[in-house]
Amino acid sequence: MNRHELLNKINEVSFVVNDLTLFLDTHPTDEQALTLFDTNSKERKRLLEEYESSFEPLTIDCIKTDSMQNDHDFCQHSGQKHFTWVDGPTPWEGGHI
Amino acid sequence: MWNYEKRLQFPVKITKSCPKTAQLIMSQFGGPDGELAASMRYLSQRYTMPCREVAGLLTDIGTEELAHMEIVCAIIYQLTKNMSVEDAKTAGFDAYYIDHTSALWPQAAGGIPYTATEFQSKGDAITDLFEDLAAEQKARTTYDNILRIVKDPEIQEPIKFLRAREVVHFQRFGEALEKMKDKLNEKNFYYFNPEFDKQFLQQ
Repeated sequence: MNRHELLNKINEVSFVVNDLTLFLDTHPTDEQALTLFDTNSKERKRLLEEYESSFEPLTIDCIKTDSMQNDHDFCQHSGQKHFTWVDGPTPWEGGHI
Repeated sequence: MWNYEKRLQFPVKITKSCPKTAQLIMSQFGGPDGELAASMRYLSQRYTMPCREVAGLLTDIGTEELAHMEIVCAIIYQLTKNMSVEDAKTAGFDAYYIDHTSALWPQAAGGIPYTATEFQSKGDAITDLFEDLAAEQKARTTYDNILRIVKDPEIQEPIKFLRAREVVHFQRFGEALEKMKDKLNEKNFYYFNPEFDKQFLQQ
């Protein structure tokens, strides 16, 4: 999957988690919503890790300091151990869509 | 505390510069019913909200509004990042350009700077939840107005997403209001202020 495809998947599953969060805030014992939350939250974590290993971390918790991604467009230190949090396009540029 | 996630809640990819549209959409950044005011409203109200679940909802919706502010800002940024001085002049964006070049600064479409006087944090649960319900509808109306004027699908898609979220937030705040009422005297919901006269709250 390229950046665009993987990010779209992350956006979709994160939206489900986000919307379910608000629903569960006012319906904390809804069994169906709880099951859906669980499935989607797990999938979101998996996709965030996949994005980190292919491109760069999207959250602080995804950072692995021994990662050496080779995405030359958005990485100033390809092939060198470095802090990957600054890698990647800024979200507001729309460049990776 | 908050953490940043390096992505937009809904993607924004605009290929055509249009400072005039940016000027209109800017209202949802720093205008009276904009996302910044929405976020500050909910995140300010939550501290004294006596119902734990409602305080949690205010936190989560207030947080989502910050993500919406980022979407609105991304739209404005992409609409103005490649504008020329001529573009700014013909679009009526020149006054803004003089003060901010193409930077983001929270103001209403009519040029009024962002101000906290546009929202309330009243310290009364019923009052505040009614304000929140009204705020979601006011923002929805504003997005409807934007959709009537702006026809470019690249801009319409994220605006439609934001509009839909206002509807969902309205629904959730409606449920929160019902939860709050469950703890009050059903013969007179306004008999006391549940955030201040806590001794009357039903546990």
